[in-house]
Amino acid sequence: MITIDEVTVRFGQVTALDAVSLTVAPHTVHAVIGPNGAGKSTLLNVLSGLYRPAHGTVRIDGTDLAGVKPYEIARLGVARSFQNVALSGGQTAMDSMLLGRHRLMRAGPWRTAFGTPGARREERAHRAAVAEIATRFGLDHLLERPVAQLAYGDRKRIDLARAMCAEPKVLLLDEPVAGLNAGETAAVSALIRRMRDEHDVTVVLVEHDMPMVMGLADEVTVLDFGRRIAGGTPAEIQDHPDVIRAYLGVAS
Amino acid sequence: MITFLSLLLTGLSTGAIYALVALGIVLLFKAAEVVNFAHGSLLLLGAYVTARTWEAVGFPTAVALGVLVGALAAVIVERLLANPMRDAAPVALAIMTIGVDIVIATELNRRMGPDIVVVGHPWGGTAARLGDVAVPANRLIALLVAGALIVAFLVAFKLTDWGVAMRAAAEDRETAALLGVRLSRVTTLSWILAGALAVVAGIFLAGSPTPGLSPAVGVIALRALPAAILGGLDSTTGALVGGLVVGVAESLAAGYQDQLSFLGRGFGDVVPYVVMIAVLLVRPAGLFGTREVGRV
Amino acid sequence: MYRRILLGLGVVLLLVLPYYVGQFWLRLGFSVAAAGIGAIGLTILTGTAGQLSLAHAFFLGVGAVTYCALAGTDADLVSLGWPPLVAALAGVLLAGLAGLAFSPVAARLRHIYLGIASIGLVVIGQHVLNTAAPLTGGFNGRLTPGIVSDAKVSIGGVPFGAYEKQWYVGFAFLALAALLARNLVRGRVGRAFVLLRDSEPAASSVGIAVQRYKALAFVVSSMYAGLAGVLYAVAIGSVAPSSFALDVSVLYLVMVVIGGLGSVAGAVAGAAAVTALPVLLQEYAGYLPFLAEPGSGGVTASHAARFVFGVAVIAVVLTRSGALHRFRPSALGSRS
Repeated sequence: MITIDEVTVRFGQVTALDAVSLTVAPHTVHAVIGPNGAGKSTLLNVLSGLYRPAHGTVRIDGTDLAGVKPYEIARLGVARSFQNVALSGGQTAMDSMLLGRHRLMRAGPWRTAFGTPGARREERAHRAAVAEIATRFGLDHLLERPVAQLAYGDRKRIDLARAMCAEPKVLLLDEPVAGLNAGETAAVSALIRRMRDEHDVTVVLVEHDMPMVMGLADEVTVLDFGRRIAGGTPAEIQDHPDVIRAYLGVAS
Repeated sequence: MITFLSLLLTGLSTGAIYALVALGIVLLFKAAEVVNFAHGSLLLLGAYVTARTWEAVGFPTAVALGVLVGALAAVIVERLLANPMRDAAPVALAIMTIGVDIVIATELNRRMGPDIVVVGHPWGGTAARLGDVAVPANRLIALLVAGALIVAFLVAFKLTDWGVAMRAAAEDRETAALLGVRLSRVTTLSWILAGALAVVAGIFLAGSPTPGLSPAVGVIALRALPAAILGGLDSTTGALVGGLVVGVAESLAAGYQDQLSFLGRGFGDVVPYVVMIAVLLVRPAGLFGTREVGRV
Repeated sequence: MYRRILLGLGVVLLLVLPYYVGQFWLRLGFSVAAAGIGAIGLTILTGTAGQLSLAHAFFLGVGAVTYCALAGTDADLVSLGWPPLVAALAGVLLAGLAGLAFSPVAARLRHIYLGIASIGLVVIGQHVLNTAAPLTGGFNGRLTPGIVSDAKVSIGGVPFGAYEKQWYVGFAFLALAALLARNLVRGRVGRAFVLLRDSEPAASSVGIAVQRYKALAFVVSSMYAGLAGVLYAVAIGSVAPSSFALDVSVLYLVMVVIGGLGSVAGAVAGAAAVTALPVLLQEYAGYLPFLAEPGSGGVTASHAARFVFGVAVIAVVLTRSGALHRFRPSALGSRS
């Protein structure tokens, strides 16, 4: 359960989020939509602790996020993907995805450097886990390739797969299918649905691809100029006059 | 009290010289995200040209020559090296300037050897008296010249096309380019200015009470780096304040070194760095610098 | 496979060389091993974790002075007469502690800011070393106790003196240092370093405590520098505060840059090049017509080496600036 209560975020004179409140029910896909500049990514960055709200509170499963550092939020089981893909170009796909499991691994500097049996066992186990997730994503043949050599669509999926590798309770997805073709989009949708249904993950999804959102989301929140202008099931949203005016009318 | 006043005056004049150098460093960082570790070498190069030519052409022409060579060297670095790699990470650019510094410093070291080269200021080592307070005339003139240059710079920064373009570019390069700011021109001009300011500073640094030009002057000029960073690498105000703070702190620590003897001899040389680290502990982006948080 | 064969050949070569080469090469080899260890530490910090540091000379100094004081037998100075290897270990630990003490600064500063702040550490370090005369011998410095005994032993009919034994000690340390670094960089910690170098938001979003890891990279690198300092002190026979000036930091940066930032093997290669070039130019100056005698005002061996270093750094950065940081450490994801 994620509760966002009256959250306001400002950048200098610009108010990116203006007293936004919403609740994300456990084990659902909650989509956040709206035109460019509506504050969707800002909302995700607040949830992952990268931005601090000027007002308002955010709770994840009862934990108030005020003063909690981004890495501590990640350790609570909140994973995310990035809109523009935040991978290291020189690292292999395997390494990138292993980083998703950073919070699940324990080996510190001494044990890593001396290659203790425990550290090696841990490394092997997590490599196997990554390989399995990579297979699910159709990335298994790319694991040893440096990320910089891969196509955009592949990088996008690795970024998403890294988040999944963290075995999260909450998954924050920032435009996971932007730039992907129809087939890839359908595959990613299916993966997100599986995360929700089989792994009990709560998903917050920021996305512009309307057919995908409408097909996948349990609930939708619509932002415009940093304000929440509507919320409800996909069906309710589609008929909402404000939404049509503010967003769907523009987009279609 | 008199000691204190004369130390303060010495400190301010040294600080004004540091501020000139720091201003150039900040300028380059704002224009092109370059932290120029070769700045001390550019300063030394220009001052060396002045020191080698003043006997033949006279001091004023020699100064002009030195400044010209300093600015020219800066432009060569910019056109040949910094510009081709303008999209590289700032760390890569900084490392490149370290390479430049090695080359220039080695050549100057070779030419100067262990000698101290006299720069030939017409005012030489005379002391000026202000009431009961005595300071080297060189330092007093430095204070006046640096002050005038800084005021001129700030006016230009506020009013000229270059200044406006410069500030726009520092704010947001892409938007500035879209609005028609010619980034490469702004950058080149910044290098020219930074090189010229450094040489002026170098000529004063090599004068009284310093006996003359030697590689040690480059080490002193290096103190403009802590000055620039404690003020904030992206703030011109910061460069000025940082320069003055470093100059005064250094002068006071040197002047009261008997009272500070528990800190060791020559503590004054270290003070700029101690102040810098103390400031960075409290404000990691310097006194006037913008913190790199903001938008993800 | 190819790499393994090459590595095996290298090890055999290092093992048998002392049977064939003279003192000059043995001493040079030991210096290379010392520098190699230091360069590995810096390449982890600056290459893998992306933190520019010019503080390396300071940590070399901490290691060296600790070693001299603990293992020394000089009656006029602080000298505890410990066994050399124990003193060397203490030098490593103390350098690590010094790194830890500076890490509140190191962990909060990014990239360039750390580069400049770390110069401060060297300047302040020089002052402290000069002031702490009972420990360091002050301006004049102090003699370094040997790391091996002078007693000659005979192996296979060949007499082994101090330089032969020292050679083995140096390369044993280098091999250990390289192995640990490789494990570290390839494992969980090294992966985290790379991600925090390229994107701090991404690093924190997978649960990496960015400041702690920056501090960790700094401490690891200072421990490597500490060991390098111990061996460097042994190699040059005596150390003064000026042995640990900013110039030394710059040379270490040259090593890791020309070796390819982030590469352990490259760091060792870079260390070999930077250490050996001036020595070899000096040794063979007689055959190199373009080199002048020191003091003649011409280009001496040391000048020539420095020109090569400067140009090499510029050339490497110019041609490989993309690889240094493939993705700029800037925005990831907009706020739309």
